[in-house]
Amino acid sequence: MTSAISVRHLTKDFKMGLRGLKLRAVDDLSLEIPRGQVYGLLGPNGCGKSTTLKIVLGLVAGTSGEINILGFPSATAEARRRTGFLPEAPYFHKFLTGRELVRYCAQLSGVSAIKMESAVEAALGLAAMTEAASRPIGTYSKGMLQRIGLAQAIVHDPELVILDEPTAGVDPVGAAAIGRMIRTMRDQGKTVVLCSHLLGQVEQVCDRVAIMDHGRLVLEGRVDDVLAQRDRHLMTIEALTPDARVAAESALAAHGARVRSVTHPRRSLEELFRELVTGSRDA
Amino acid sequence: MTFLEAVRQKFFAFLIVLGAAMVLSSVAFRFLDFGHGELKFIADFGFGGMFLFGSILAVVMTAQLFFAEMDNRTALTLLAKPLSRAEFLIGKFFGVWMILGLFVIILSALLGLVLWGRAQELSLLAEQSGRVAPDFSFRGLGIFAVLQWLRLSVVAAIVLAIAAAARTFLFAVILGALTVVAGQLQWIAQDVLLKPTESMLYKSILWLTSRILPNLQQFNIGDALVLDSGTVAATSIGWVILSGLLYAAAYLFLGALVFRRREI
Ligand SMILES: Nc1ncnc2c1ncn2[C@@H]1O[C@H](COP(=O)(O)OP(=O)(O)OP(=O)(O)O)[C@@H](O)[C@H]1O
Ligand SMILES: [Mg+2]
Repeated sequence: MTSAISVRHLTKDFKMGLRGLKLRAVDDLSLEIPRGQVYGLLGPNGCGKSTTLKIVLGLVAGTSGEINILGFPSATAEARRRTGFLPEAPYFHKFLTGRELVRYCAQLSGVSAIKMESAVEAALGLAAMTEAASRPIGTYSKGMLQRIGLAQAIVHDPELVILDEPTAGVDPVGAAAIGRMIRTMRDQGKTVVLCSHLLGQVEQVCDRVAIMDHGRLVLEGRVDDVLAQRDRHLMTIEALTPDARVAAESALAAHGARVRSVTHPRRSLEELFRELVTGSRDA
Repeated sequence: MTFLEAVRQKFFAFLIVLGAAMVLSSVAFRFLDFGHGELKFIADFGFGGMFLFGSILAVVMTAQLFFAEMDNRTALTLLAKPLSRAEFLIGKFFGVWMILGLFVIILSALLGLVLWGRAQELSLLAEQSGRVAPDFSFRGLGIFAVLQWLRLSVVAAIVLAIAAAARTFLFAVILGALTVVAGQLQWIAQDVLLKPTESMLYKSILWLTSRILPNLQQFNIGDALVLDSGTVAATSIGWVILSGLLYAAAYLFLGALVFRRREI
């Protein structure tokens, strides 16, 4: 089976000014994104993530390189029919209601009239936007905007969903909700590719990650493989007295193991925040 | 979509009101009894208003709608759908086309009303003084409206082609406006073409530009149509319509070609 997205030696130069000065946004990037997984594309601002995704979708032409989506050459209508896209900082026609937008996108994506209503409601439901769907988009909060963007991206039941910063400007509770939606999509068998700066969330949601810097790929692999330090172990101990600690250390030393550090486990700020705050009003 | 969006814009209402005001203000001159000449005056005034504000509407609204989609990045969402660039552009064109139709219909109806009312009055006066009653033709006005609509559509197609290539809204508007003026002044070029004295190079450049730019003046057979409908041959109207359609299609095609390469 072909990869969901295969990018080979992609390079993109933006022309700057008239004197032929060039800015290399993507530099000889090669990626194979497998099907049925959540794939995270990470990197600092301006490293070329959004540009890569736009080239994959055929919105911008690459300078050189080859891209296939689900076995189809990118920038073909066939490839885009099987793909859903949430752009970075999405912006939709303000005067439409959420439901009208999703229905309009479904029409453009070729959803048949018979399936229309159920497809629209399913997408709104997955994005938790059913309640707000009859309000105009101009009145939505950032979190709602991202979720209606998610709904319009998946309304035609695409095999591949590409999300550019789906959690930008969304509070941690809302971001966790979007994370759950992404996992739901994976459980439905979709491939999800996302960019995000919320590394904590990426770590929880993604199966694989790629890290880019200055347009180049610096690391790629399964999240578990990339993060695990297989030669170290962490024990969490309750009611540790100084005597017990000395005893434990000498017992370990007898087997040739050494204790490198003893600390208190820490919750992440994100966990604490999620525990204290019940969720934004429109979640 | 485009149509809805545009109708909600105040600019459209503003231009309609201006155009309407222009048509109506021609009534203010009614106390000058021109006879048949007065109807011509009203008609000229109305056509002038329709052309002027219609052109502004066609240029500014087309560019505005196009760049609103680009700058707000709503185009990003739409073009990620299985929608081709050409379809997107044609969608924009039909949106503008409907607006222009609405504009022309409203103003023509108003103009028809004013002309009709005045013609009634004048024919009463004419009977009393024993002169020939002036006449005008609704059918002619209808054909004129269709021609105007077509003319504005050609302008919209040109502006769309310019916008597809242009970086900024302002550039597209200025170039679009210049094109309208150039199209309007075509007859000067054609006059020159008929003179044998000019150098060949100059002539061929003129010939080329006069083929590329549509002759917008040719749509202006309004007067003749409305006031003495007998004088314009049906075939010449047919030719004007055909060439208008061809120009609009050609410019849309060109725009679609350019737009395919554009980075969103
Ligand atoms: N249309 C454009 N013209 C010129 N340069 C561009 C254009 N779009 C992007 N760039 C440049 O390409 C580089 C990569 O931009 P890109 O938007 O892909 O970054 P990113 O990784 O998505 O960053 P962020 O995390 O801020 O979203 C940047 O240096 C940017 O300035
Ligand atoms: Mg980005």
